[in-house]
Amino acid sequence: MNALPTEGAFAIGLSHFLTVGAILFTIGIFGIFLNRKNLIIIMMSIELMLLAVNVNLVAFSSYLNDLVGQVFTMLVLTVAAAEAAIGLAIVVVFYRNRRSIEVEDINQLKG
Amino acid sequence: MIIASLAFYLFSIIGVIAALNVIFQRNPVHCVLWLILTFFNAAGLFVLLGAEFVAMILVVVYVGAVAVLFLFVVMMLDINVTIMREGFMKYLPMGALIGIILLVELAFVFGGWTMSPAAEGLRLAPAPDMADVNNTQALGNILYTNYVYLFQASGLVLLVAMVGAIVLTLRRRPGVRKQKISEQVARRAEDTLSVVQVEVGKGLQ
Amino acid sequence: MSHLLQLITPALPEVFMAVAAMVLLLVGVFREKESTTLLTWLALAAMVVAGGLVIRSAPVTAFNGLFVVNGFTSYAKILMLVGAGLTSLLINSWAQREKTARNELPVLVMFATIGMMMMISANDLISLYVGLELQSLSLYVLAAYDRDNQRATEAGVKYFVLGALASGLLLYGSSLVYGFGGTTTFDGLATAVKAGPASLGLMIGVVFVIAGLAFKVSAVPFHMWTPDVYEGAPTPITAFFSVAPKIAGLCLFLRVLVGPFGNMIEQWQQVIIFISILSMGWGAVAALAQKNIKRLMAYSSIGHVGYALIGLVVGNEEGARGLLVYLLIYLFMNVGTFAVIMSMRVKGKNVEDISDLSGMAKNHPVMAAVLAALMFSMAGIPPLAGFLGKFYIFVAAVNAGFVWLAVVGLLASVISAVYYIRLIKIMYFDEPGTAFDAPDKLAGTLMVGCGVLMLVIFVLPSSLVDSAQAAARALFLG
Repeated sequence: MNALPTEGAFAIGLSHFLTVGAILFTIGIFGIFLNRKNLIIIMMSIELMLLAVNVNLVAFSSYLNDLVGQVFTMLVLTVAAAEAAIGLAIVVVFYRNRRSIEVEDINQLKG
Repeated sequence: MIIASLAFYLFSIIGVIAALNVIFQRNPVHCVLWLILTFFNAAGLFVLLGAEFVAMILVVVYVGAVAVLFLFVVMMLDINVTIMREGFMKYLPMGALIGIILLVELAFVFGGWTMSPAAEGLRLAPAPDMADVNNTQALGNILYTNYVYLFQASGLVLLVAMVGAIVLTLRRRPGVRKQKISEQVARRAEDTLSVVQVEVGKGLQ
Repeated sequence: MSHLLQLITPALPEVFMAVAAMVLLLVGVFREKESTTLLTWLALAAMVVAGGLVIRSAPVTAFNGLFVVNGFTSYAKILMLVGAGLTSLLINSWAQREKTARNELPVLVMFATIGMMMMISANDLISLYVGLELQSLSLYVLAAYDRDNQRATEAGVKYFVLGALASGLLLYGSSLVYGFGGTTTFDGLATAVKAGPASLGLMIGVVFVIAGLAFKVSAVPFHMWTPDVYEGAPTPITAFFSVAPKIAGLCLFLRVLVGPFGNMIEQWQQVIIFISILSMGWGAVAALAQKNIKRLMAYSSIGHVGYALIGLVVGNEEGARGLLVYLLIYLFMNVGTFAVIMSMRVKGKNVEDISDLSGMAKNHPVMAAVLAALMFSMAGIPPLAGFLGKFYIFVAAVNAGFVWLAVVGLLASVISAVYYIRLIKIMYFDEPGTAFDAPDKLAGTLMVGCGVLMLVIFVLPSSLVDSAQAAARALFLG
């Protein structure tokens, strides 16, 4: 399915791609917990998580030689776009009410 | 062959660096730009994996739509950049620790990937030979037949996104004057003008 | 044309609901008046028709194995539709009263309902994800629907961020399951799991999937969003959140774990036991300190999810039956309680503090009696239906050898009884405060109906238990 070498010092296997996916996923989760002050960056972190999932799916699809993974990826892309639209709409109404996009000081509601 | 391997390292290293910048940059506009770079590199990885169509869709959907949406909202909201990083360092050590543990665990799992013994026979849509059909056509062949249910369902998801975004953000302001072309075209002189004979000395009531 | 009809027949209820939702959107546009009464009744009619279609539908696996209909899915869908229908009436009366009615409100409820029906019928990780997202996206919008209310938008933000995080976990798990199992269909995965010892990757994938689903049903330790969203969102929308998505989520949870991963029961059982005990315990303990009745209901629902998950731990037909009976009773308890909470109004303004209930027995004896009955039922005290729900769950656990789990559940319900009974004490023995306004006709009917139902179910449980039994059997057959 792909043209990557499987042997030698430059061999690229599935685990390489999965590692990239895992790194991106971790960065995404990390970003959510780190950026308490900025909702928009939290949303970008969510996009990073979904991108990591896509990397995983396409890699598996390629190495299993099965197209289902790519169909899954396309649906994840579609839903992620819808999610971004809804999320940004919620951020906009939140901003209109509070004049800020800080999550940490959501103190109307406790804990 | 080695070029492909080098391309893999290029795309993945730049992609990871860009992803790190997404969460560490101060200015949200820069974050969006780094996000775009991440997506481009992921698209590069997809091409290496032989999934050209998904790679192109990733660029079109993300760079063309989602990233622009993000930029639009970032610029629409007047965000104070300096206060945004307060408290960032407080969470950094703990977050980094959890992140590294998660990463090590996942890497440990991937070292031992073997295809499930049954997986070969379970594949629903074995990829056809690339010489016969290209990737786009092969995807189209199954997306509109075997997976039509998902195709329609994702249509519903997009409809909900549209309705939801409008419900939340559309405001009808009272007192806004809009041009109503049909009314202007339909306007006739006799509807608005009338000739009144005014008698001398009386005036118009 | 006939070919097309044949193609969509298995999903006829869903297709009908989707078409009806789009027609309602158009009706809303052409009426130009922002009012939800007509649209709510139309949506309700559509739900009734869809329910009829669900009852008539024959067991089948369709759309290339993406979608399944059997006795279990039909039972779950009916339960969920009843919950959605009753709460959408409450939503309508709230929207009309508070002048927040907009045409899209019933339509969004309908889309969420379609998403839940798709979740319940999902037979593939991809259709599971798409159904779940259709539901979740509608729910995020509903949580923030009262957009000029600061608390509602905060609830929307919290729900969205944590919900998207959970979807991400679920998806990452799905991708691992796909990669290590080789397929996304539930049937295929069941074969793959049977074929050999489960690989580590598959197990990690299942754990991620469980985490995502546990979040959606708000089980501890993935419950952080629940109290805030319940408190911030408008009350009837909270009622909807506490009923329909819980039913759909728990049924999906059950289908995912006993279907494709049924042969990995040793591995996931411990995780679910852990989640279940934490939910029961934390739901009981944290509720003790609450002052706001909606937050109290949030912790109460976390606790109820914990009990329901015992049925999942058992993982056999009896456990599934217990879970279904529990969900049915939970549905009516919650609708009744939220009808009472909606009626807690002083001079046209909603109040939500528990202390506002003081002396309600003097001012509103019927409402107080109903709430007392519902609280006793939630605590699981006979002769009320809530006792039966817990009874079937605990019996299933004991029969399967989880005596200690049943004991833990019993202890948790004793602790939770403290705060349910505290409410009753406040209503009956505290000095009367300001009297509430008279409840409107709909809320009054609903609360009395649910209160009476608690007794009726306790006296005549056999037909309900039999139908749950049949549904549980269908789950394990197909």
